[in-house]
Amino acid sequence: MTVSVSFLTTMVTIALAVTLVSPFVLLILWLRDWRKGKLW
Amino acid sequence: MNPVNSAILDPSLGWGILAAFSVLWVWLGWFWGRRAKELDDYVLAGRRVGLALGTATAMATWVTSNTTMAAPQLAYQMGIWGMLGYSLGSVGLILFAPLARRIRALMPGGFTSGDFIRLRYGKTAWRIFLAISLFYGLGWLISLGMAGGILINALTGIDYRLGMSVILAICVLYTVLGGLRAVIGTDFIQTLLILFGILILAWLAIDAVGFERMHEAVSEERPELLNLLMPAAIMFLFNNLLFGVGEIFHSNVWWSRAFAFDKGVGFKAYLTAGIFWMPIPVVAGFIALAAPALGLNVPAADMVGPLVAANLLGVGGAILVFIVVFSALASSLDSLLAATSDLVLQDIYRGHLRPRASPEELRRAARWVVVGLGVVAWLLCLPRLTTLAALLHFTGAFVASTIWPIAAGLYWRRTNPTGAMAAMVLGTAIGLGAYFLIGFYVAALVSALVSMCIVLASTWLAPRDFDWASLNERGL
Repeated sequence: MTVSVSFLTTMVTIALAVTLVSPFVLLILWLRDWRKGKLW
Repeated sequence: MNPVNSAILDPSLGWGILAAFSVLWVWLGWFWGRRAKELDDYVLAGRRVGLALGTATAMATWVTSNTTMAAPQLAYQMGIWGMLGYSLGSVGLILFAPLARRIRALMPGGFTSGDFIRLRYGKTAWRIFLAISLFYGLGWLISLGMAGGILINALTGIDYRLGMSVILAICVLYTVLGGLRAVIGTDFIQTLLILFGILILAWLAIDAVGFERMHEAVSEERPELLNLLMPAAIMFLFNNLLFGVGEIFHSNVWWSRAFAFDKGVGFKAYLTAGIFWMPIPVVAGFIALAAPALGLNVPAADMVGPLVAANLLGVGGAILVFIVVFSALASSLDSLLAATSDLVLQDIYRGHLRPRASPEELRRAARWVVVGLGVVAWLLCLPRLTTLAALLHFTGAFVASTIWPIAAGLYWRRTNPTGAMAAMVLGTAIGLGAYFLIGFYVAALVSALVSMCIVLASTWLAPRDFDWASLNERGL
């Protein structure tokens, strides 16, 4: 059972989308912790 | 094709990048570590790490050079399942989330995973566990050191031994200076560098080759990579899942963070890190599928990622790969150095050699243990004995045998020490038998299965009560 080009495209696009969001979430969390004095 | 001939970066440019990041990491290590006077501050970053730094350090540590270099390797060898199987490594992070919360609640003054095994199952089980954990820790350290040398050699042509030595020395230096605080602080910056770096690389690869051309070339030259029914790859998927769970459940890298995170942070940090980590092997790995379209002759599978990036993107791509993999390497090497040194310090030095050592003595010894570990790893990396993936797969049998003794030991009052010991010993032995007789892709699977059967059967046949309060040993 061979995967189609659309399967490959969809899989990589979803992975890219989640990876794109993650650094911004980390930066928002960092700002929130920093404001509350809870970085460490 | 000789790896040196394939180098795309001028060696002087490679040294320049290495020097710039090395100065930054070492300065940050010194800056964050300068106020860590107490043992708790140095070893566990004061036990008050927040959610942002907690999530980033879990992500960065699990995004090793083995992810950024072995994910393309696995995509090149096993295709779609290679990438997806590697992604399932995130299940370990997600499943560890509730464990981290329980570990923090049961052992508020704990230091290492060895502490738990000693208090839960006794000294014999503790020594068996230490042998497994230290063997694995050293194996991982060697694979990271080797990855550093291979990366620098592939991208700049700088001698493997020289590059490996420099990367190890830099990580040892800033870990010695700053302890876990330096490790976690640099991990945050390294996570951002890795994420933005692999995103740019993936985007440029899609732009240069495109999915259709990539798919067409792979279908013609390596059709098995697109086959969803590739048996070895399906076995690898489950094997890798269990390998990841075993690694995270037992390793002090993850336990030390559970102890270091502020109350209420562990669960959220590990869960978020697991979700965000899951797509990374796909993003980092799929560029290897461009190799057939580009007509690349790949001399060693573990060099496919850097070679594709350098071929596609020229000097800019090579610089980006260099920065991404150097960040991934450093973020894991420093974590492993810190956590393994904690294990050696607390469980070997204090546990076996100097039970009455004062916190001041331990604080001093901690630095020497990090240096010693660095030297041992350097000596073992020199001969470049095996490939990155082969080394990791070999250790799978060891770590998977610890999944059940740890999970059952944390939640199941009646799990007995003899069963836990037998599970670790027989799980490892039979898993290794499967590794040699069947293949690397079943070692962790068999080991975890044997370990599970022994823990369940021994608990059912000889249940033993355990007082959870006895895990709350007074801290150092």
